Amino acid sequence: MSADERALAVEPSWTTAWSRSWLGAFLTQPVSWVFLFVGGIIAFLSLYPTFFLFYGSLTDAPLGVPGHFTLQNYVRAYGDAEAYPLLLNSFIFGLGASGLSILFALALAWITIRTNAPFRRLFELTAIIPNILPPILVSISWVMLLNPSNGLINGLFVKFLGLEKGPFNIYSMPGLIFVESLILTPLAFLIVAAALKSMDPSLEESAKTLGSNEFGVMRRVTFPLIRPAILAAGTLNFVRAVESFDTPAIIALPARIEVFTTKIWREALGSFPTNHNLAAAYGVGILGVALIFVYLYRRFTSQVENYSTVTGKGFRPHQIDLGPWRYAASGLALLLLILLVVLPILVLLLVALLPYYHVPTWQTWQHLTLDHFRYVWATPRVHKAFANSLFLALVGATACMVLASLASYITVRTKIAARGVIEGLVFIPWAFPGTAMALGLLWAYVDFPIPIYATIWIILIAYVTRFLPYGLRAVTSTIIQVHKELEEASIVCGAGFLATFRRVLIPMMRPGVMAGWIILVTIFMREFSATLFLYSPGSEPLGPLLYFLYLDGMRGRVAAIGLVISVISVILIAIAQRYSRWETK
Amino acid sequence: MLKQFSFFLALCAAIILSAAPLYSQSASLIAAGKKEGKAVVYGSLESDTADAAFGTFKKKTGIDVEYWRASATKVMDRALSEYRAGKPLFDIILTNDNPMQIMFKEGLFAKYGSPATKEFTPESIDPNLGPRYRNVVIGVVYNKDIIKPADAPKSLEDLVKPQYRGKLVMPDPTQHTTTTQWVASLDKLMGKEKSEKFIRDLAAQKPILVESLLPAAERVATGETPIAITYVKYVYTFGQRGAPLDYVRLGKFMGDGHYLSLNSKSPHANAGKALIDYFLSAENMAALAKLGEFVNRKGIYPPLPDADKIQFVEMYDLDSKKFAEKKKEYQQIFLH
Repeated sequence: MSADERALAVEPSWTTAWSRSWLGAFLTQPVSWVFLFVGGIIAFLSLYPTFFLFYGSLTDAPLGVPGHFTLQNYVRAYGDAEAYPLLLNSFIFGLGASGLSILFALALAWITIRTNAPFRRLFELTAIIPNILPPILVSISWVMLLNPSNGLINGLFVKFLGLEKGPFNIYSMPGLIFVESLILTPLAFLIVAAALKSMDPSLEESAKTLGSNEFGVMRRVTFPLIRPAILAAGTLNFVRAVESFDTPAIIALPARIEVFTTKIWREALGSFPTNHNLAAAYGVGILGVALIFVYLYRRFTSQVENYSTVTGKGFRPHQIDLGPWRYAASGLALLLLILLVVLPILVLLLVALLPYYHVPTWQTWQHLTLDHFRYVWATPRVHKAFANSLFLALVGATACMVLASLASYITVRTKIAARGVIEGLVFIPWAFPGTAMALGLLWAYVDFPIPIYATIWIILIAYVTRFLPYGLRAVTSTIIQVHKELEEASIVCGAGFLATFRRVLIPMMRPGVMAGWIILVTIFMREFSATLFLYSPGSEPLGPLLYFLYLDGMRGRVAAIGLVISVISVILIAIAQRYSRWETK
Repeated sequence: MLKQFSFFLALCAAIILSAAPLYSQSASLIAAGKKEGKAVVYGSLESDTADAAFGTFKKKTGIDVEYWRASATKVMDRALSEYRAGKPLFDIILTNDNPMQIMFKEGLFAKYGSPATKEFTPESIDPNLGPRYRNVVIGVVYNKDIIKPADAPKSLEDLVKPQYRGKLVMPDPTQHTTTTQWVASLDKLMGKEKSEKFIRDLAAQKPILVESLLPAAERVATGETPIAITYVKYVYTFGQRGAPLDYVRLGKFMGDGHYLSLNSKSPHANAGKALIDYFLSAENMAALAKLGEFVNRKGIYPPLPDADKIQFVEMYDLDSKKFAEKKKEYQQIFLH
C-alpha cells in the first residue's frame, strides 16, 4: 500500500469523527463559512471603534494620554436633571419627523408603484433627489422660504392675500418636524417602494375576487404585507432624526427649542476644548436607546413567513385603476414633490445664481451671475473632491451592499444560533451619533498597524461601518418577502449555497439591493460628519468641501456644487434603476 | 535718452522690489523645502484667504501647500489627537490665540524665529507663538436697506433700547466659544457692574441665537434680521458681493489674535519654515489686508470705511473650566 493509499484508508474514519462533532457538522456547511467570514468582518468593523468609544467614556483623559478609570462622565451626562425634558423634546421631534416622513413616503410610493396615475415614473425618479442634497442645504432653503420676517412663501401670502404677517413660522417645533420629515422622506420612500415592487399581486387579486373593494384590499392585504418595510423605515428615520444636529442647529436654536443633540454639542463636542469622554458617555446612552429599537424591530419582523409574498411565479406589481381619481393622485404626488424637490432646488438655484442671497426684487435679475458655476468648473480642488466622492460612493456602496446582502441572508434565512448577533453588531456603530462615531473611528485607526490613517481607505471603512445598517434594512425588508420555496427548489435541483444565492436570491432581492445601493450612493456623495474627522488634505471628498465653503459663507458655491452633485446622483440613480428587477421586464 | 534711462532704472527698481520678499527668505531653506515637496497646514483661516496666500507662495517657491480647514476647536482636536498618537501629519497650525496657547502647553510647537518677525511691533509678538499676524474684530453690523444709518444703534448700549427688540441676531453664547469669550470680556469695555446689567438687558431683548458669527452676518445680508453681533470684516466681504452692510463705529471694539506655529515634529520642517517666512512677510500681510483682514502692520488696513480708526481690546483667554462656568451662567441668562 502506498502512502497515498494509506492516507485514503485512514481518512474516512477521521472525517466521520469530524463530521459527527458539532463543530465539524457546522463547518461542513458552506453557509457556515460565509457566516464566519461576514461575521468576522462586521464584528471587527463595529467592535473595534466601539471599544474605543466605551474606553473613552470610562476614562478621564483623551486618547493617547494615560488616564484613570472613572464613572464621572456618566454622572455628568446623566446626573443633570435638565437633560430629561430635552429627551422628551427629542422624542417628540423624532416621532413627529419619522411619522410624517412615513406618511409622505407611503403616499408617494403607493401612487408611483401601484396606481395608474399619470407621470408616476417621473415622480418615482425625482422622489430620491432630496436624499442627494446635503441636509443642511435643505434646512437653509426652508428657512429662506418660511422664516417669519422675509420668507419667500410668507412674503407671497402677505402680498397677495393682504395679510399683516406671514402665516408660517419655521422657527417652531412643527417647523422643525416638517423640515426634518422632508429630509427623511426619500429614505423611507426607497424602502417602502422596494417592498411594494416585490409584492405578489395574487393575494390582492384573491381579496378582490372575494368581494373586497380597493380600499379594503389596501387596508387588509397591502398594508400588512409592507408593514416590515414601514417599520424598518420608521425605525431608521426615528433614530436618524433623534441623532440629527444640522436641522436643530439651524431651526431649533433660533426657536429656542433645545433637543438632546444640541445639548451634547454644547456640553461635549462644541465645548472648548472638546470633551471626547463626555461625548462618548452620551453616545453610549443613545446606543442603549437605539438598541431597544433594534429589539422592537426584530420582534415586529419575527413572523417572517407571514410576509412571504414573492413566489416562483412571474408577476408584475398589481396596478390599481383609479379612474378619474388618477389625476388627483398625480396632483398629490406633485404637491409632495414640490415640497421635497422643486422648492428647495429652486431656492438653491437662486442662491447659486445670485452674487449673495437676498429676497429677489426686479433689480435682482440684473445681477444674476454664473460665477459660482465657473468656480466649480475651474477649480482643481473641486474636481479632485468630485473624483474622491465618486470613488467612495461607487466602491463604498457596492461593498456595503455585498456585505448587507450576505448578512441579511444569514439573519433572516438561516437557523445559525448566533445569527442575531450579526444584526446587533451592524447596528452598534449606527446607533452612535455620527460625530461620536467618527471620533471612535479616528481613535481606532490613527494608530492602526496598517497605515490607512489619512488615506481615502479610512473614509471608505468609516462609510461601510456606519452605513451598513441602511443597506441591511433595505435588503432585509425585501428578503423577508421572498418565499423559501424558490431556494428549496434550487437546492433540490442540485445547486449549492453560492449558486442558489447568486442565481435565485440576488435576482429576487434586486429591488431591495438597488434601493439600498441608491440610498448609500446618495449619502456617500455628500457625507461629512464622519469624513470631517478622517480625511486628510489629499483625500478631501465633497462633504467636507461643502462644509468648509459653507463655513466661509460661500453659499453660492455650495449651492452650485450641490446642484452638480444632484445631477450626477440622478444619473447614477437612473442607471441603478435600470438594473432593478421590475423595471427591466 | 534720459527718459529711456529713467524707465530702465524704474524697471530695475520694480523688479528688485517685487522680488524683495523672496530675497528675505533663505534660498537654502526654500531648496530644502522643495525637496520635501509640500507643507501641510491645519487651520481656521477662511479658504479663499488661505488659497490666495498659499497659491502665491507656491508660485514663488514651487512648494505645494495642502490645507485642512476647520473651526478652531476641530483644528485643535485633530492636531492634539495626532500628536498624542505619535503621528502628526501637519507642519503648521494656524488659528486663534486660545487654542494655540493650549497646544503650545501640550508641546506641539517648535520655536522658530522667522526673519519676518522683526517687522512686527514688539507688543504684537507672543513669547510662545511669535507674531500675531491678524486680529479678528467683533462689532455690530447692520443692513442699510432695512435700517437707515441715522436710525442705527450708535453704541453697544443702544442695542438694548426697545426699538431694537427682536431685530438682533447673535451667536449663541452658550454654544459658540468666541461669543462666550466676547460676552465674558465685555467688562473690559464697560466695567463689571455696567457689563453685567448690559448682558441681562441684551438677553431680555430676546436676540435670535444662531450657531456662529457667520450665520449671524448672513442673516443680516439676506435681510432676515437687520442687526447682528459679528465680525466687522463681513461688511467688506459681503459688501464685495453686493450686500448693503455697514457697521456701528463703536468707541472700542473687542478682538482676538491669530497666530501660526511650526509643529515640533514637523514631517516637512523646511517647507513649513519657508511658508511661515512668506506668510508673515510684508507682501502677504498687504495681500491679506486687501482681502478684508485686520493685519498687524502699521499703516496697512482692510478696504473698509474708517478701518484705520478702529481700536480694539483683546478678549480674555478662558481656560476650559472658565468656559464651562460661563456657558452655564449664560444658559441661565439667555435661554431661560
